[in-house]
Formats: sequence, C-alpha cells, structure tokens
Amino acid sequence: MVKKSIEFFFDPKSVAVVGASEAPGKLSSVIIDSLISSGFPGRVVPVNPKYSSVRGLKCFPSVSEIENGVDLAVYALPSARTPEALRDSAGKTRGAVIVSGGFGETGEAGKGLEREIKDIAKETGIRVIGPNCMGIYDAISRLDTFFIPRTRISRPVAGGLSIISQSGSFAITAMDELAGEGIGVARVVSYGNKADVNEADCLRFLAEDEHTKAVAVYIEAISDGRAFIEAASFCASKKPVFAIKVGKRGAGALSALSHTGAIAGNYEAYRAAFRKSGVIELDGYEEFIAACKAFGSGSGASGPRVIIITDGGGMGVSLADACVEAGLEVPPLSEDLKERVQDGLPSYFSIGNPIDLTGSVTDEMYADALEKTLSDDSFDIAIVAALWGPPGLTDELPSLISERSLAIKKPVLVCSPGGAFTRSKSELFRRSGFPVFQTPEAAVKAASILARASASRRGG
Amino acid sequence: MDKQAIERLVIDAQSLGRKTLPEPDAKEILRLSGVPVPRSQVAKDLSGAIEMAAKIGYPLALKVVSPDIVHKSDVGGVALGIRNAKELEEKWAEMVLTVADESATSMIEGFLVEEMAPKGAEVIIGAVRDEQFGPLIMFGIGGVAVELMKDVSFRLGPLSKKEAIGMMTEVKGFALLTGYRGDTFKDIEAVAEIILMVSNIMEEVDALKELEINPLLVYERGVMAVDARAVLK
Repeated sequence: MVKKSIEFFFDPKSVAVVGASEAPGKLSSVIIDSLISSGFPGRVVPVNPKYSSVRGLKCFPSVSEIENGVDLAVYALPSARTPEALRDSAGKTRGAVIVSGGFGETGEAGKGLEREIKDIAKETGIRVIGPNCMGIYDAISRLDTFFIPRTRISRPVAGGLSIISQSGSFAITAMDELAGEGIGVARVVSYGNKADVNEADCLRFLAEDEHTKAVAVYIEAISDGRAFIEAASFCASKKPVFAIKVGKRGAGALSALSHTGAIAGNYEAYRAAFRKSGVIELDGYEEFIAACKAFGSGSGASGPRVIIITDGGGMGVSLADACVEAGLEVPPLSEDLKERVQDGLPSYFSIGNPIDLTGSVTDEMYADALEKTLSDDSFDIAIVAALWGPPGLTDELPSLISERSLAIKKPVLVCSPGGAFTRSKSELFRRSGFPVFQTPEAAVKAASILARASASRRGG
Repeated sequence: MDKQAIERLVIDAQSLGRKTLPEPDAKEILRLSGVPVPRSQVAKDLSGAIEMAAKIGYPLALKVVSPDIVHKSDVGGVALGIRNAKELEEKWAEMVLTVADESATSMIEGFLVEEMAPKGAEVIIGAVRDEQFGPLIMFGIGGVAVELMKDVSFRLGPLSKKEAIGMMTEVKGFALLTGYRGDTFKDIEAVAEIILMVSNIMEEVDALKELEINPLLVYERGVMAVDARAVLK
C-alpha cells in the first residue's frame, strides 16, 4: 500500500483527545489546554467512557462513536491500552498522535506494544506519529498537541522555520528559546519512536510546504539511511536544511581488521549522509539555536563575505578574528566604497573592515554605513555589533537600520554583548526582526552557517 | 569489472568459513575490477618460489599469506627489495622462522612472491559497509600511521567523480600529491578512478563488509595497489 502523505496532520478540522480528563496536570488535560489556548479553530473532541462532558465539551466514550469521525486523534493513554484504542479508531480518523511512553524505549513488553501499533497502522491506514513524543506544534494551523503548559514553555509566533525532532524535550527547549528570541516557526514535529511517521516523511512534506522556508532537524538514529538521503536531498534542493546528530561517540572498531574499520565510526556515516544530501551539519545545541535564529529571521546569504560594523573597535576585531577562524571572509572595502562610506563622517573614523564608528556614532551613521556597504556587491552578510555606550545612539537605532537594510535582502546579524541596559535594548532589535547574539562567537556561528548553506546550494 | 569471478572468489572463501580474505585474494578482487596490482604468485615451498621469481623478475617482495595475520609486517612477514635467488633463499628461511616464532598459532597458506613496485606517494582507499547508510568510502594519506594521523575523508557511495576528487582535496596531506617541496605532481586522475572502483565494488558485491587498499602507490603516471585486505559479512 502506498503510504498517504502526512500533509493532513497540519491542517485538521477536528481533533479528538483520547483519555481526556478534567483532572488538572494530567497529560490529556494539558493537551486540551494547549489546543484551546493556541486558538485552534477546529473542533476539539474529548474521548473517555468515564465522562459525558469535559471542559464543557461533549465527551465520547470512544473514537468509533464520534459521528463523522475526526481528522486527527491524540492518544494519552497507558501504553498497554493504546493498541486497542487505536484499532477502535479505524475508519474514524486519518491520523494518530500517540504521546504516551512505555513502548519500544522501555523493554520487551514495550517493544511488543510498538509492533502492535505498527501493525494496526498498516491494517487500518491510520498514519501514526509517535509513540513517546509531543506530536505537533503548528503556528500556521494553530494545532498544538504538546503536553507542556504554555506557562512553562512559550510557543513561538508564526514564521518560516520548521523543526523536526526525535526528542520531545529538545524540541520544546528550542521552541521556548526561539519564542524568547522573537523567532517564528511554521511546523514543529516531535516524532519520538517513529513507529510509522519518520524523518523522511516529515522532510518530504516540509519540502513542498509553502509556509516552511528552512528546516531544522534533530536526530538520534536513522533506521533507513538511503530513504533519509533521498528525502533530505529532495528537501535541501528546495530550501536550507540543517541537522544535529547526537550520540557521536562509539566510533570505529566495529572490527579492527582494516584501518578503515578502525577509523570509520557511525558518525562518519551520518556526516557523509548529510553531505551527500546537501544538509548542513551542526555541531551542537548552540549552533542549532544560532542556525534557527539565522534562518528564522529571513534572508539567506549568497556567499561568505562579511562586513562588520561597530562602534567598539575591540569588538570589531574580535568579530573579524572569529570570522576568519570560521572560514568566513572579511574583505577590505574597495577604494570607491570606502570614499562613499567616509563621506559625511569625521575624518578620524576608521573605515576598513571592520568599520569602527567610535563613541561619536549616531543612529544615522550606523544606518548609512550599513546601507552603503551591504548593498555593495562585495558583501553577502552584515554583522552589526552595536554597543550601547555612546550617547548618540537612541531607541530608534533598530527600526532605522531595519528600514534602510530590509530592501537589500541580505542577512543582518546583530551582535550586542553587554549587561542589563544592553539586554533591554536587544528586545528592540528583535522587534525590528533582527536575530540578536550575545557574543561575537555566536554571531559568527550564525554567519558561518548561512555561508555554508549558500556553498551547499552551489554544490560545494 | 568481472563481477561473476569476484563473486565466485567470495563464495569459495565463505564456504571455507573465512571472515577475511588473504592478501592475494583481496588483490585478485581489485585486479578483476581494473585496479593495477603487482604481478605475483603464491609459493608453497622455496623451490617453487625461486621458479616463480625467475618468471616475475627481480627485485621482489616476499610476504606471508595467512588468514590469521592482520598486520604482516608486525610479525616479520614482509621482506622487500629482494635482488636475487640467494637473497630470496635467505629471506625465506628467516621469514619462516620469525613468523613461526611471532605468530605460532597462525595458519600459513604460503608466501606471496611479488614484483617489487617502485616507490611512490602512499595513499589509503578503504570502504566499510554501514548498517544504515551502506558503503562508506574513505580516502587518506596512507602508510602504517594512518590510524594515528587520521588525515582522512569520507563519502557515502555510490560516488560521483566530483565527490572522489573532493575527498582528495579535503585532506591536509593532499599537498603531498601536488608537488610538495619540489616533489613531482602525482596522477590525481588515476587515484580518483581507483576511489570510484572501490565504491563500485562495494555497490556490486554485497558480501564484502570492508575493503581496503593500503598503500596505493601513486606515481606521476598511474598507480599500483601493493597491499589490500577484504573482510566478509
């Protein structure tokens, strides 16, 4: 049987919550909260034989008794009772999200239950996300099946970044952080044990999803490597895809019968798979967040040439060092460009790369220097290292540089290290749509990922 | 590439319960796939060796053939640059004693009498079959210190020529092939071809778990695989 696309998961008109309960703190109760507070416009249908209504919503004894069925059912039941409930939903739902744990991750009994889930999915044609997962947070359709309250984990606004993750906790931590950074997301999928829907299904869907502009992937293990490469190549040919693979250890020595066997660990295979698919490999959580911020804020880069603009010489040089270390280019300004930037600035300003606008800087000088250099063909990315000491800088700076750089359609990364005052100003940059980084290293990581994405698009 | 002949060779080895192929068989797989290897024959006794040597011509290399010995030179199982029959006789006697001493329980199947390849730059080309992703191909600067230096690159098969070239240019030691400190420019094209052949063998012959050429000698024109090993599934 040809597997149905998972597209319908992302635009359901009705969602059943199986195991629904009034008891606060129960998973099912939080899921209903999430669905209601996210503003999900569809119908929410509680299912539990013990109640006739939950939260004022009509409660059904089983999915099979919902007239006309639902598009999606979320199962928050003990693992032992889940297969039966899933089988009972045959013909009444297209998709299932099984959030409960107690399956393949636990032991023989759990593995048996997971096999049952797989078999039922095959027999009934119900596509299954999970078990042992969070399911979907979708800022476009406002579907939210996550069982963590919004008071604990903030949900990002709608945007162009989609995240797929084997780990639920990794997905929500990244989401929470991105929400704080003002970075929007489209679809977030936590697929857990992937009894049915796996990363390849998600990548194929996201490749053709018009709301998704970039895809972030968190991987623990892939079971069908070649299927992954096929789906990832397809997706990466349409939009940037970047991935982190955890569990890198356990290298080599499958057998020490050849040198190759002694050196080649499983991670080398993953790294080669990313490379073959055009997926950008990330080395850890910090890079993962930097990449989400860089791609979540809009424009991609078309090359590795960085212009650094600052009002603090030391920070500028430190950024330039980090850029070169990361394989980025920090080329000098052409004579002509230098003259144009110098025009209207005091003669003692140091116009090179970095451009140091000194303590005499004003909002207008920043905007002017950025507009002139970034619009020049010799640069692909700008890093604006705004230090808030100089009295000439005002709260208008972020909106002014946004106004003057937006039309150029090249990425502008803001690096703004500092304490309480500076951090309060970072919020202004975020509101103007800039990704903000607290350290030169983090800003440069983001720039380097953007450059790697452009190299991988060019087939480098 | 003569896939049928390679498969016969592998099936024969499997029927003997072998997990690894001895050097002559591993090289035979390479030869059947179009990889240049030195002329050689396996001798069971000294008089046979001297007879073969006369046909192949001196100088020669003499190597122990045993499925149990992973690193031949570690147990005195390799003698290089043998110039005449007298030296061959001496080295033979010496090797029989040393190997028996160093690796007493190993089964010795014979000794490989092999044309001595001229010196060249040494690279390693290897492959392992990854459970999830299939053949993973490795290129690196070769020799016995490869595990120490780890100056290697990896790609998943099947490879394109562009990927094969990319594997070479990626390692630090690539400069050793392109005229480093007055040395000659080596035959990069030929190395790329061998990388592609190794990838191709792994795609075609499913029973191979690992295959490795170390070293592949690289000349201004052409290459030669002077040692190889193969591990079966």
